[in-house]
Amino acid sequence: MEIRPILSALLRNRTGAVLVGLQVAITLAVIANAFFIIERRLEKINRPTGIATPDLIFASSEGYTPDYQHVATLDGDLALLKGIPGVVAVTPINSVPLSGGGSANVYQTSPDPKAPLIPGNYFEVNADFVDALGLKLLAGRSFRPGEFVAAPANNDLPSLVVVSATMAQKLFGDVPAVGRRVYDNAGKSAEVIGVVSDMQGSWIDNTRPGSYDIVFHPQGGLGKYWDYAIRVRPGERDRMIPVIERALNGHGHGRAIHWVRPHEYWLTRTFRADRRMVVFLTTLVVLMTAVTALGIVGLATFHVNSRQKQIGTRRALGARRADIVRYFMVENGLLGVSGAAVGVLLAYAASGWLTRAFELPPLPLGYVAASAVALVALGQAAVLWPARRAGAIDPAVATRTV
Amino acid sequence: MLDMKHITKVYRTDLVETHALRDFTLNVAEGEFVAVTGPSGSGKTTFLNIAGLLESADGGSYRLDGEDVGTLGDDARSRIRNQKIGFIFQGFNLIPDLDVFDNVDVPLRYRGFNARERKARIERSLELVGLAARMRHLPAQLSGGQQQRVAIARALAGDPRFLLADEPTGNLDSLMARQIMDLLAEINRQGTTIVLVTHDPELARRAHRNIHVMDGEVSDLKPYANRAAGAVA
Amino acid sequence: MLAYYLKLAWLSLKRTPAITALMIGAIALGIGATTTTLTVYHRMSTNPIAHKNAVLRAVTIDNWSADTPWDQEHPERPPSELTYRDVVAIHRDAPAARIVAMRKTALTVEPGAGRPPYLVIARLATREFFPMFDVPFEYGAGWDAAADSAGAPVVVLSREANQKLFGDDNSVGKSVRLDGRDYRVIGVLADWQPTPKFYDLNNGDFDTPEDIFLPFALGAQLDLQPAGNVNCWKAETLGGVHDLLGSECVWHQLWAELRTPADVERFQSWLDGYVAEQKKLGRFPRKLNNRLYDVDGWLARYKVVGTDSRMLLAVSFAFLAVCVLNVIGLLLSRFLGAAGSSAIRRALGASRTEIFRQHLVEVGLVGAIAGLGGLGLGWAGLKALQQLYGGYDQLTRLDFVMMLAAIGLAVLAGVLAGLYPAWRICRVQPAGYLKTQ
Repeated sequence: MEIRPILSALLRNRTGAVLVGLQVAITLAVIANAFFIIERRLEKINRPTGIATPDLIFASSEGYTPDYQHVATLDGDLALLKGIPGVVAVTPINSVPLSGGGSANVYQTSPDPKAPLIPGNYFEVNADFVDALGLKLLAGRSFRPGEFVAAPANNDLPSLVVVSATMAQKLFGDVPAVGRRVYDNAGKSAEVIGVVSDMQGSWIDNTRPGSYDIVFHPQGGLGKYWDYAIRVRPGERDRMIPVIERALNGHGHGRAIHWVRPHEYWLTRTFRADRRMVVFLTTLVVLMTAVTALGIVGLATFHVNSRQKQIGTRRALGARRADIVRYFMVENGLLGVSGAAVGVLLAYAASGWLTRAFELPPLPLGYVAASAVALVALGQAAVLWPARRAGAIDPAVATRTV
Repeated sequence: MLDMKHITKVYRTDLVETHALRDFTLNVAEGEFVAVTGPSGSGKTTFLNIAGLLESADGGSYRLDGEDVGTLGDDARSRIRNQKIGFIFQGFNLIPDLDVFDNVDVPLRYRGFNARERKARIERSLELVGLAARMRHLPAQLSGGQQQRVAIARALAGDPRFLLADEPTGNLDSLMARQIMDLLAEINRQGTTIVLVTHDPELARRAHRNIHVMDGEVSDLKPYANRAAGAVA
Repeated sequence: MLAYYLKLAWLSLKRTPAITALMIGAIALGIGATTTTLTVYHRMSTNPIAHKNAVLRAVTIDNWSADTPWDQEHPERPPSELTYRDVVAIHRDAPAARIVAMRKTALTVEPGAGRPPYLVIARLATREFFPMFDVPFEYGAGWDAAADSAGAPVVVLSREANQKLFGDDNSVGKSVRLDGRDYRVIGVLADWQPTPKFYDLNNGDFDTPEDIFLPFALGAQLDLQPAGNVNCWKAETLGGVHDLLGSECVWHQLWAELRTPADVERFQSWLDGYVAEQKKLGRFPRKLNNRLYDVDGWLARYKVVGTDSRMLLAVSFAFLAVCVLNVIGLLLSRFLGAAGSSAIRRALGASRTEIFRQHLVEVGLVGAIAGLGGLGLGWAGLKALQQLYGGYDQLTRLDFVMMLAAIGLAVLAGVLAGLYPAWRICRVQPAGYLKTQ
């Protein structure tokens, strides 16, 4: 394998090689980081919500006339909905999970006002919420129907709460949460009566409160509006939406049903930005790689054309077609590897900048390595065509003087 | 017109030093028709490049039309090439994309003439070489002789002080070659100085004077017509 | 000479159509991608009321808890919204050319004529809102001081709301039923979509403005529910909107119009005085920290241009760089491959500068053509993007400035790509190419 003469020939006529090498380097730096970002976004989009999203429909009701009867409407709605064939369970709820809107409070584990304040994303639900949302009861019990207060006087802490597993961990560590108390910093306290499986709350990728720091309050809201979380039989969701809408619109007085939507609606909206990023980055990466590959082909073709005499001479001196092809493959391989080496450095530099400017985590080695290998392999595949054309050059070219 | 004294030119690479011209002296007066002859490798090409300001000499002095051109920068040399020298090459060197009119136009563009002036000069030059009818043809559509005549027209369009011809008939058959030489003789009769570089003694015969170059030096200054039989050709 | 160079450039490009197409394509792609990301970035980062930037101020005061700051990462920042009692007091008493107090609410509108009721988002604002923010009216006007303080049942409709209710007619004088009460339409806005929604960045940077506008006093009169961010630090029992109005919760926005630097100073010291008074009543446990932001500062505080847009812009420029490198290579092989005619021109007296210029014009031409192509690609990209932006059309609109920028960038890219090849070709020794003996 004649690496040294190929290398020195390449170095003597550097410009084209430098240009292509730089393209490889920049493309590699972008691809490695882009794949990392894309993977993180896809992971975020595909994270399990923790609730029965494919089977969940949410509806919004608001009273607007002076003679609107809030509690009576609620009771009537629940009875109505539970009676519709196909509906599995219903709960009133104050906001839609993963919608970007919701309520949060701070909780303490001791009555001492100086105790640490632990933020929690709370949902106001009734006794059927575990079934309605599709959660699992992990410890203790859920609320009983008599424990739900449809029209509370204020939004102080109720006397009983249920927490998610992550929230239990944040509040009490490894100690079992059931039976323990939580406090607000206004003198009220509540007993934790149950722990449910984790679900994603109102805000994704949040820290205060965290996405999974959920508390359930057995009460309605303060105003004349609430949402319903309606779980239907698997596969029935699309059919059920107009059914539920018709049923609710036909019931109740002095209130408007503002919307009846599948949970997927909010997932689409919430993740729109992430999807956008994935599409955009993927497109740019594909285009960059294509342009770089074309650059490689272009340079190789230029070399083949300008070295016709030399190639013919080599053939006349005994080289086989495969030897000529191999020469170009080796030359291109050297170029690809050196470009990739610079690219690896650039990739880490870019990652460092991304970490500083956008608070991303640092780039794992796997992405850089895989991208480098893929890019070099692609470069070799791209150069096959001009290399084979070089191999096909007639040895008689050596003796021509034109 | 053309006054070279003791010109030297050395080509150096890492391994080899080639003295292309050593102590080359030549004087061409205005209106003369001079042939510079010699075998290949004698330095004719180097002389031509230096005379035409395509290269600089390493030593000696070169005065062109009374001006010392040895120390001039590239821009000044380009100006002089443009205004005072008309080149005619063995390979014609017309620009293939441009038609006859635009080819003759090329040096005029760098002179800054306006469109009307350029048109007048181009038409006059093409008339002189007998190709006014082919103004819009491309070089590929012309014969070798016609292409060389276009090149001559191009060289003349700017009223140069002298023509520098490098083996102008080298790529032509004998009939066309004679026509070109007739044309050059006519141009010289009308007052233009001509320096012709060739290895063909037949061509050299048509000049007033013949300078023979060997190994980078002038070896013979006698006018051809006065040379005794048996002298070195 | 320029016309001559352009003619030569055109001939040269025609001679090798495949390579020319490749070069134009490469730059056009790079420009297309950059135009798309740059447009979004530009639209996100413009100040839609730049001409009033110096006179408008967002007012913030720090009534937050003594134990924790409003923003853990920026503890020097006051909360972005204010309490009800504070905006009322400041609006009433502070010295300024104009002050607007406002917040969002949600109401049910009954369009009548058999159509079902639906939700509208409303902005409760004092009358200064419209002149302060240069809000354009199609029909009618805002309400006056009397209507403001009385909380008169009047309403201003946005263009969209008017279309939905009255089909784009002049509805001034007509009646709209909101939450069971009738309101008289006194004004209809013309098309107004400031991008970003600078006056209330708390509640959606790029939301479309509210459907309807109501006098601020109605909010307290009718206990209208909040429809934006509400944040509370104090342990207070809140039984309804009435309690919220008297609490330390922040859920209102306040802007002042202060026309000279002296006015700004006067307002600031009045504000400091007001907070000092409130401290005596036991409020404002944190140290004095009242900040006024001009619109640019307000937009910067909210970092309206998301990290995603900036990252994509960086990647686009990297892509453009790769395209430019590609084109440099193509130009080099083209120029050097056609070195013969440059050598002839040099022999005929063209200086190096003239050869350099001739080739720069050629790459400039490539750049200009690529710019147009890139603009087309960018436009297509933005159209495709509209899907992904879910109706934020404002962000994907190609305005005149961006179009010029795209073409300018393309020509610049072309010239940059061509500098080195043009320099190489003009340094070529003519003697070598002239086939002299």
